[in-house]
Amino acid sequence: MIVSWEWLRQYVDLPVSLEELCERLTAAGFNHEGTEQVGDDFAIEFEITSNRPDCLGHIGLAREAAAVTGGTLRIPEPSPVQSGPPCGELTSVEVECPDLCPRYVGRVIRGVRVGPSPEWLKRRLATCGISSINNVVDVTNYVLLEASQPLHAFDFDKLVDRRIIVRRAKKGERIVAINQRTYVLTPDMCVIADGLRPVAIAGVMGGLETEISESTTTVLIESAQFDPLSVRKTSRALGLSSPSSFRFERGVDPAGVDWASRRCCELILDLAGGELAEGWVGLNPTIPPRPTIRLRLDQIERILGIRVPRERVVEILRRLQLDVTEEEHAVVAVPPTWRADLSREIDLIEEVGRIEGYDRVSEEEPIPATCTPLEPEQRILRRIRAALVSLGFHEAYTQSFVDRRTLELLRPWTGEEPLAVQHASRRQENCLRQSLIPSLLLARRLNEHRGNEDVNLYELARVYLPVAGGGLPEEPLMLGVVTDLPLGRAKEAFEAILDWLRVSERPCYEHATLPGLVEGQAAQIRFGERVAGVLGVVDDRVRDVLDLRQACAVLELRVGVLSEMANLVPHYRPFSAFPAVSRDFSFIVDEEVSWEQVESLVRSEAGQLLEDVRLKEVYRGKPVPPGRKSVHFRIVFRSHDRTLTGDEVDAIQSRIVTRMQEVLGAQLRA
Amino acid sequence: MSDAAQLLADLEVFEREAIAAFERARTAEELEAARVEFVGQRRGKFRQLEERFRALPPDGKRQCGRRFNECRQRVRAALESARARLAQPQAKAEPRAAAFDFTAPSLRIRRGTVHPLTQTIEELIDVFGRLGFRLADGPEVEDEWHNFEALNIPPEHPARDPNDNFYIDGQRLLRSQTSTVQIRVMEKQPPPVRIIAIGRVYRPDVHDATHFSMFHQIEGLYVDRHVTLAHLKTVLRQFAQAFLGPEVQIRFRPSFFPFTEPSVEVDMSWDVRGGQWVELGGAGMVDPNVFRAVGYDPEQYSGFAFGLGVERLCMRRHGINDIRLFFENDVRFLRQF
Repeated sequence: MIVSWEWLRQYVDLPVSLEELCERLTAAGFNHEGTEQVGDDFAIEFEITSNRPDCLGHIGLAREAAAVTGGTLRIPEPSPVQSGPPCGELTSVEVECPDLCPRYVGRVIRGVRVGPSPEWLKRRLATCGISSINNVVDVTNYVLLEASQPLHAFDFDKLVDRRIIVRRAKKGERIVAINQRTYVLTPDMCVIADGLRPVAIAGVMGGLETEISESTTTVLIESAQFDPLSVRKTSRALGLSSPSSFRFERGVDPAGVDWASRRCCELILDLAGGELAEGWVGLNPTIPPRPTIRLRLDQIERILGIRVPRERVVEILRRLQLDVTEEEHAVVAVPPTWRADLSREIDLIEEVGRIEGYDRVSEEEPIPATCTPLEPEQRILRRIRAALVSLGFHEAYTQSFVDRRTLELLRPWTGEEPLAVQHASRRQENCLRQSLIPSLLLARRLNEHRGNEDVNLYELARVYLPVAGGGLPEEPLMLGVVTDLPLGRAKEAFEAILDWLRVSERPCYEHATLPGLVEGQAAQIRFGERVAGVLGVVDDRVRDVLDLRQACAVLELRVGVLSEMANLVPHYRPFSAFPAVSRDFSFIVDEEVSWEQVESLVRSEAGQLLEDVRLKEVYRGKPVPPGRKSVHFRIVFRSHDRTLTGDEVDAIQSRIVTRMQEVLGAQLRA
Repeated sequence: MSDAAQLLADLEVFEREAIAAFERARTAEELEAARVEFVGQRRGKFRQLEERFRALPPDGKRQCGRRFNECRQRVRAALESARARLAQPQAKAEPRAAAFDFTAPSLRIRRGTVHPLTQTIEELIDVFGRLGFRLADGPEVEDEWHNFEALNIPPEHPARDPNDNFYIDGQRLLRSQTSTVQIRVMEKQPPPVRIIAIGRVYRPDVHDATHFSMFHQIEGLYVDRHVTLAHLKTVLRQFAQAFLGPEVQIRFRPSFFPFTEPSVEVDMSWDVRGGQWVELGGAGMVDPNVFRAVGYDPEQYSGFAFGLGVERLCMRRHGINDIRLFFENDVRFLRQF
């Protein structure tokens, strides 16, 4: 809201400077956004919160200025001379939908001379950023900026049957608004119509055909109150907003409807001449009584933490023009008609607080100590990050939305129809993702296209898995990793995470056919029955679709499963004081023999004395025959209670060699 | 010049040259050659000087005797110390090792990174943890009850407009604020409550340097008997000073949010900006209607809530001028943190 400094002072004697006033109004909830000099005047911009539509006019801000400075208010009481015939003889106003239009005051002035506005009026409007059109229209804009009550002037002679009907629009009805655009109306919209057609979109904009022109001689002045929700819906549906709709959406002062009508007529008579018909036509029911609010004085301190003496409370509320009576431990206040935001005790506490000033509120209040443990999940996340950072991975934050085609490329967790948002700004990328991998691949592509190297990324974020019945989706936290390192290195990264989390159970990798991943290079990772994640190499189709040049390994894990497996506070286990004996083996085995088979055989043969069995190298090529591989591993033996003898270890060793030959067809290399 | 005087002068030259030659020697061979030249038994220079000394008359001997002995001792000592020097291992006559080039770049193991938003979030968890706030969590896809209704945002409120929210259908939408977590926590546990919630929120903003349709908020909630606006101000002041520096000040400006009353905008002054106030976030005392929605008695309990934008804090902290950089994931950006 832009305020003219000169205009504002018409309503209030200000004992303070412009700067001081801006500071005080900011402290009272009207943030000063800037001041600009316009000729001899200053245009001061204040931010008005949506609960204070009364301050979208100079009088409203003058009231606040008076309240924060103690200045005296001077609000004019308009009483235009009514020299014409009774208004009801000239026209009629019929409100068919009082739910959408609870108040409508119409007045008629005959014999006006439409022409340019006087300089003072042009100047004031200019300060507020409004350009002058003609004296009649300018007056309606002036009163809007004065009282925050929108007005509209019709060219009376252009109204078919010279009457007004406020009704819901008929299906398919059209109107050309004064912005010269045509709008198609729907039956939930309220219109101002004449005997034939809509002449204004109620509360939003007037029609072109009945607008004031230089040939206009008789005007009908509309001052009304429209249902805020209806105006907002209409404005949104038509994509059309105006200073009027802005105010009607927030609500106008019911007592201000007739005031603004009289004020507008008074100024038109002054500036454009003419003869005002006697009285008014329309609908202006008695204003329902304002709520009586009891403010217990001790509640102020309970909420604000400051003590405000009774006299000061009374003074503040009276300055804000509440009707105050005092009780023993309370005050009882009735707010003015323009303060629809005040209905509860807490509302009055806020009024006292903001006028008293929040700078009085202590910032040294003792806070009772309470010790909160770090959430276990946070500890898990910190370790996962530590593991990946040590391996050179960068944490990414990608968007939760993806387009449908990208979503369907790779989604190991569900085949359900994805959730999608309905918003015009997201026609393409409207799906809530079901895996982090596609988004991370897109981030890789961006880096590839920019020629960046070492683009190894990870992300910790949720995916959105729909549940049967259409309730809120499951939102498991996932770890996604994409890398151009070989699959083996990606697996190492996964195992490094397990190590950081002190997971003792060994993961089970199971070859899996997963859309988007290369067959044979993709596995599901399980701990017992629990599926922890997937690991694999992205297939060519996904790379083609996403335009990725480099090969890419991906890993996606359910953080929840990792949390269950983690052991962040390991218990100490005593270790042996006796020396270890280690033996190295090289066996030639068939390709099909997995390391897991070798290891479990060694474990079952070595028994209690086994400390560790480690794969050192797998070799293929001469002199190993094709279809076979050489597996080199080391076994470490150790006893808890004695030093092992060479004979003991030799015995186990030869058992292992024998069983390797018998069970796995392994051949010991020299 | 008498023979004696000549001998004294020659002794002087001899001593100087001999000591210099021994000190100069870099190898045992060089030292041996010098020894033979100066003090060799048969043809050494000292041998000749000795013969000349012997040939002096008695008073000449008296005149030169002390100096002669002194010269012999000094030269011998120099020879011994040269021998000792060459006997030490580093003095061995091997080629010297090339000096290490400390300016050459290391073949560094490339460290990965933690996203700057995570770093800011971790700091927030840490600071508010020290103030006794526990981390709470809630879903990103929400129902209208938790995102609006319970937060005192009735159906006719403009905040519920489909144009300003990411609705999935008539009942479900992406949360537009983390205040939803307040409701979820209060529904589950009786007071007292002291929590923060940090997470993604969604609003259909057009993307530019300061707007993104997805961003992060930190929400705080403290409910107990006797919680006042002064507790709110204290907590936010302590947070601002811990997070941004002890010189930071905060102020409250009255504002309006449906779920708090009184509502305030929180501004901070940061020295960098020379005393200007910068908006930090919104806050206020929990509206009694919100308490009623979750079954708390507003006559018994009071509380405050606040919401701050994580991106804004992170951008100020690291001097990042475009919010889109956070979500683009160019490694040249990520590597800087």
